[in-house]
Amino acid sequence: MPATEHQQSFLGRISIRRNQVIAMDGNHEQELEDLELFQRHTGDRFADLLSLPDDSPFPGETFLSISWLRKLVDVLLCCEAEFKALLIMGRDPSQIPKPPLDRLLIDFMERTVKVLDICNAVSGGVDSIRQCQKLAEIVVSALEQKPIGDGQVKRARKALGPLMSALTTDDKENNHSRYAERTWSFGRRGSNSGGNHKDRATHGPFRSSSMVVAKNWSAAKQIQSMCSNLTVPRGGETTGLAQPVYIMSTVMVFVVWALVAAIPCQERSGLSTHFQIPKQFGWAHSIIGMQEKIGEEWKKKEKKGSAGLLEEMQRMEKLGQSLIEFVDGFQFPAEAEKLEEVAAQVAELAEICQRMEEGLIPLQQQIRELFHRIVRSRTEILDLLDNGKASQPII
Amino acid sequence: MEAPENYSTSTFAVPFEDAKKIILRWDSTASDEARERMIFDGDREEVDLYLQAVDEIQKSMSSTSISPPSSSHHHDQDNSSNIVNSAIQIAMARLEDEFRNILINHTSPVEVDSLLISDHAPAPASSLNRNTSSIRSSNEFDQEEVGGGGDHVDALDPIQRADSSNSSASYRSTSSIREIHLIPQEAVADLQSIAKRMISAGYLRECIQVYGSVRKSAVDASFRRLGIEKLSIGDIQRLEWEALETKIRRWIRAARVCVRILFASEKKLCEDIFYGIGTAIDDACFMETVKGPAIQLFNFAEAISISRRSPEKMFKILDLHDALMDLLPDIEVVFESKSADSIRVQAAEILSRLAEAARGILSEFENAVLREPSRVPVPGGTIHPLTRYVMNYISLISDYKQTLIELIMSKPSTGSRYSGDPTTPDMEFAELEGKTPLALHLIWIIVILQFNLEGKSKHYKDASLAHLFIMNNVHYIVQKIKGSPELREMIGDDYLRKLTGKFRQAATSYQRATWVSVLYCLRDEGLHVRGSFSSGVSKSALRERFKTFNAMFEEVHRTQATWLIPDSQLREELRISISEKLIPAYRSFLGRFRSHIETGKHPENYIKYSVEDLESAVLDFFEGYPVSQHLRRRSQ
Repeated sequence: MPATEHQQSFLGRISIRRNQVIAMDGNHEQELEDLELFQRHTGDRFADLLSLPDDSPFPGETFLSISWLRKLVDVLLCCEAEFKALLIMGRDPSQIPKPPLDRLLIDFMERTVKVLDICNAVSGGVDSIRQCQKLAEIVVSALEQKPIGDGQVKRARKALGPLMSALTTDDKENNHSRYAERTWSFGRRGSNSGGNHKDRATHGPFRSSSMVVAKNWSAAKQIQSMCSNLTVPRGGETTGLAQPVYIMSTVMVFVVWALVAAIPCQERSGLSTHFQIPKQFGWAHSIIGMQEKIGEEWKKKEKKGSAGLLEEMQRMEKLGQSLIEFVDGFQFPAEAEKLEEVAAQVAELAEICQRMEEGLIPLQQQIRELFHRIVRSRTEILDLLDNGKASQPII
Repeated sequence: MEAPENYSTSTFAVPFEDAKKIILRWDSTASDEARERMIFDGDREEVDLYLQAVDEIQKSMSSTSISPPSSSHHHDQDNSSNIVNSAIQIAMARLEDEFRNILINHTSPVEVDSLLISDHAPAPASSLNRNTSSIRSSNEFDQEEVGGGGDHVDALDPIQRADSSNSSASYRSTSSIREIHLIPQEAVADLQSIAKRMISAGYLRECIQVYGSVRKSAVDASFRRLGIEKLSIGDIQRLEWEALETKIRRWIRAARVCVRILFASEKKLCEDIFYGIGTAIDDACFMETVKGPAIQLFNFAEAISISRRSPEKMFKILDLHDALMDLLPDIEVVFESKSADSIRVQAAEILSRLAEAARGILSEFENAVLREPSRVPVPGGTIHPLTRYVMNYISLISDYKQTLIELIMSKPSTGSRYSGDPTTPDMEFAELEGKTPLALHLIWIIVILQFNLEGKSKHYKDASLAHLFIMNNVHYIVQKIKGSPELREMIGDDYLRKLTGKFRQAATSYQRATWVSVLYCLRDEGLHVRGSFSSGVSKSALRERFKTFNAMFEEVHRTQATWLIPDSQLREELRISISEKLIPAYRSFLGRFRSHIETGKHPENYIKYSVEDLESAVLDFFEGYPVSQHLRRRSQ
């Protein structure tokens, strides 16, 4: 995994820094050098992500695929580690709580809390992709049987319905009742469905509460407010820590923004317009490139409603669409040519399911890892902020 | 088509054609009647007939699929297999609906409210055999969580009441898990017979999904009743701590019910329905049902565990920690499977984060005590609010001793004796060997409290008052320690003796600072006139001496009456100690020199006070309010 590679080099870096601490303490040049390295590493890491060809020879490595997202989260983890090294290692802790750094860090901390919530929401989103995967698996297991008969087709259709509605769910409606739910095979209203049970509220439509976040929580608003006080450091602040805090914030915002666009997430209206990164920074070029690419995709999808830009979901949606056409027009026995076409689509769908099966849990674990890392850094930075500042009366 | 004879061997079997008819009759996409009625809501014979029909169709499906494709009959073969497949699909769709219907009929949420309150009302006079009908519990009945009354039983399906005889059979070894029957046994049997057929026909995924969606909404309903909210971490960080304290209390109770009753019962239900059908199916269904709710439940504790650390949060964090610690073995049982890894791990992580938070808060507290910045001296040298706060805090800490002894593993990071750092006090651990790190922290907190108080004492202009302040505060510390057996045991008698010595020393220092100069007036030196035979005492010097003494005593009396020793015993002791020095010295001085004054003019100008006057004047000391008039001569 690329993460371990970066991790090692990062650890090596720490030990070097530790040696330098004594000699370089408070050395301004060292600080500038560190900043430059951080910028270069950040730029390089995102450039690698952007340069993945759309039709990569490695299947599943394409832009916005599961494995691409895993790389994206890895990059964030690496940047975070380097940022923390820059911020904490070899620094006189009394520098931290002084203005303007204290203010910047407090804003940064506010942003990290939002990232934590987004991590949870995205992780819940991954669970709902798994629901899609399971529905698609039903379609696959129905249609990969030979010969395909009425029974298989009906079975596939029953799974395709909720699958398609899950894939095209428009999160603006915040309507998850349609979400990957299996429905009655006929229109039951429960009015006369046997008299021996208590007619309770549970008889209403089944509301799946797959979303773990609060009702009014909005991914778009979270990202918006993360950006609201994210300003480019002014001339006087270009040295020191203002710059790394800005870079780290930008990276963080971009990555969670991409995750929210790719993975089903609660309330994302207007996601494409939320933040802008000035073009003058070298490290930001690839980020801006990706942001434009994702933003365009998002605008396209936002119109017709989509659960997420995840490449596998997009392909699943396309396949689902043509399989629905197939099952709707099905008459036994089907033409051999049609069957061949369907077999290929089913095979592709099976391959996507396989990829989801292999990739989603690790992605979820990485998001969890990100959560942990942010919590840990947060604690450390808050400690630094608290320890240095003049104590408040406790009584 | 197969010959009917094949079926006569089996008593309950239905011939294929009949089976097909039965299936088609119940095709809910075809007829109104099939749509209106549910098989499992009706006649048992109908149910049995339908299930046999499904079995028959499945049997013929496996026979059509294994028969070798013959080239000549290929088309026929396909056709018949299509018919069978179609029938299977219709049957499975029907069974799925039946399965859903049975589940829905039994989704009345558990009356968790009554499980929450400690309710030990006597068993109702109904035929209900108390909660044996619904709760399979261990002998050890935890009164806190499970309502003993029958009201929650009422919420369960009536069938369940009839079921009381065969339900109390199985017990879990874990004493705290209490499974209740969410669905009566008969319905479980129906669900099981449907599940078996769906799974053998390859409809496992459908079965899991239907199961999960219905049960999940039942769990959601129970969550709402328990008042488990969906709050984002951001929301929780913004809430006032007092509001969160209430939520923590509620969460603890809700989490117990969730893990031990709700989730455990869901698990049991899965095991009951899917028992013996394939491997890990029960587990898949269980996770499908509770994964989301479990994550939602733990999110709250997680958000608390990462909130900003401040001293006032300590005790609720510890409550949360203890509650989770207590639940952890049960969480491990309920979420034992591999697929529930993430939940077990998350619970353990939250627990360790709460422990971390408690440690962080303790050191935060130490910092706060060390740096508490108030500079305005408390009037009268009485007990500083900081002292009260800190001592109350650490006696609360001692109430949580059991937990904290395990959590606090490292010694406090104290200043070393030779550090020369004037901003941190020193502390020697050598003499405190054998103490737990927690005890060392408590002692350390007392050390830094004293250090801070020493600093504050310097803001008194009067050195005597500074000593009195230290005496009062250290005495208070000692009293608080003595008042709490837990605290006393941890601090230990050695350190307590040290503290006692310290306030005694402060008392001595006070007396020295105030009284040495007063008593100095009562010395003999300087009064005798050299070479004189007649009296040998200089009257003018003596008069001067009396006047000085009177003035000094009056001044001390006036100021120190406004000083305060809140502890009556300490106040009494100090006054006695003052009297013991002052009174004999004055009496003897008076005895030796009274005559010299009384033989002169206006003796009352010099001997203003009798011994008794002084004795009673000392009683005005340290009461904390000014004496209204000048010291009067009371005994004349």
